[in-house]
Amino acid sequence: MTSDAVLAARELLVRPGARAGGFTLRVPDLALRRGEVLAILGPNGAGKTTLLRALAGLIAPSAGAIEVRAPHGVALVFQHPLLLAGNVAWNAEVPLWGRGIARRKRQERARAALARFGIAALAERDATTLSGGEARRLALARAFVVAPDVLLLDEPFDDLDAAGREALVQDLAGAIRETEIAVAIVTHDLRQALLLADRIAVLDAGALAQLGARDEVLRRPASAEVAALVGMANWLPGRVRSRDAAGLALVELAPAATLRVATACAAGTDVWVGIRPEHVKIDVDHSDPNTLGPASVETRVSDGALVVAWIDWHALRLRTHLLAGRGLGQTLKAGDGVFIAVRPEDVHVLPRDPR
Amino acid sequence: MSGVVGEPVLAIALRTLAVSGAALALAVAIGVPLGLALGHRRFPGRGLLVATVNAGMGLPPVVVGLLVALALWRSGPLGTLGWMYTPQAMVIAQVLIALPLVVGITLAAVGALPADFHLQVRALGVRGPRAAWLLVRETRRGLLAAVIAALGGILSEVGAVTMVGGNLEGETRVLTSGILMYTQMGRFETALALAAVLLGLTFVLAAALTAVQQASRR
Repeated sequence: MTSDAVLAARELLVRPGARAGGFTLRVPDLALRRGEVLAILGPNGAGKTTLLRALAGLIAPSAGAIEVRAPHGVALVFQHPLLLAGNVAWNAEVPLWGRGIARRKRQERARAALARFGIAALAERDATTLSGGEARRLALARAFVVAPDVLLLDEPFDDLDAAGREALVQDLAGAIRETEIAVAIVTHDLRQALLLADRIAVLDAGALAQLGARDEVLRRPASAEVAALVGMANWLPGRVRSRDAAGLALVELAPAATLRVATACAAGTDVWVGIRPEHVKIDVDHSDPNTLGPASVETRVSDGALVVAWIDWHALRLRTHLLAGRGLGQTLKAGDGVFIAVRPEDVHVLPRDPR
Repeated sequence: MSGVVGEPVLAIALRTLAVSGAALALAVAIGVPLGLALGHRRFPGRGLLVATVNAGMGLPPVVVGLLVALALWRSGPLGTLGWMYTPQAMVIAQVLIALPLVVGITLAAVGALPADFHLQVRALGVRGPRAAWLLVRETRRGLLAAVIAALGGILSEVGAVTMVGGNLEGETRVLTSGILMYTQMGRFETALALAAVLLGLTFVLAAALTAVQQASRR
């Protein structure tokens, strides 16, 4: 383990229960570092919860090892946290009670943990009467009460409304910063993963599809599956036509639809071309040197914060995002003729394996 | 009056309490751990075992009486104990009647817990005796329901205790077997007195257990 890793999986192989239909989870190398949040992203059934439980030591691996350097332990918050009969304070105390800590000390630390997540006033309330958001906060307070070195969260914001999620993310971010805890958050939702993540691991069908810094994974997904999961909405097949002296290649996506991209792929290679929606720029005055030429707005929808527009460019559909409420976000409408531009460094190119 | 005074009602009531109390304690001591274990362990044959327990909840007491009598009869496998027509025989019969009730209702209480209860308790860092205590604490209302059901089952039972106890005055006569006998003798006043005591006893004990159960709500 490197010096800042507190929990690491090495050549991990987990087969959870013979009844689970032969599902196997393989993770060659995954480390959680102090003060860092790792988001584990994947579709339902990818093995995210299994990985989290294996990291917590609740499932024994069939092969490989979990290396732990966490003297204060590893806390796991389940997707549906267990609330025990009794009041909120007792629920927060349980991990300390389980470790044989004296009552007075337990109460003191539970109170501090509840205060950290803004529910100290609920200490005497029956835990079964809490709202979804309050129950989430109690579960997090209960995890922090033992001051663990590692915090593992399974879909922690799943059943919260937008306001509750935002408030909880703020409190959680504060707690993570103050305690320098190592965190892993499992989620199927990209936006939830991005709320706190420093790094992203993508699981697909029990395999670690990609692991990297947040922006690296967002900009350079390692496969079509990862691209879809991390929101690289423009994902098109193409072929490298030629390379120029500057090291840029010309990729043809459709007749007359070509892009200048930075890639090491040789001429003639079949490739995937990926562009994040926020990197497709509407070039208002046609002055951008990276222009792709004329296009037209096919449809436009907005949720009030973001405008999503689909642009028809040589019969290809490109998705772009604009901020709603000002500038183009306000004025752009379906049917408009526009110019679009994409910087070569914003285009991700991946060789397309022959079928 | 024919001069037959009979045993004082109080003595019969106290014996009933002693026999049924002992049977209840044994049934709970054996049945609750069995039900808790059966409730969260998965092993081959578990389904059959659970079905047997559920069928046992409807076991006719006379059949239990017959089986215990066969076992304790002088020539039976446990004949050398010499327990036939003793309070011990009655306790054995009542334990066998109450056990399926205790196991079955405990099982149902454990089944009502979330499927990942044990995993979550383990994740909270609670192990060993404390984890067992937490399990009892979380199922306590169901466990008290099991005790109440078992108490009702054995206090009201007459067939088996008469068969293996013999309703011997001063030795094995309990409230139910006394009621049966005095009714057959036409001594309805005594039968009614015993019945009143039995009803009162059942009500007071059930009410006390219910109070405990309801108090444990929070």
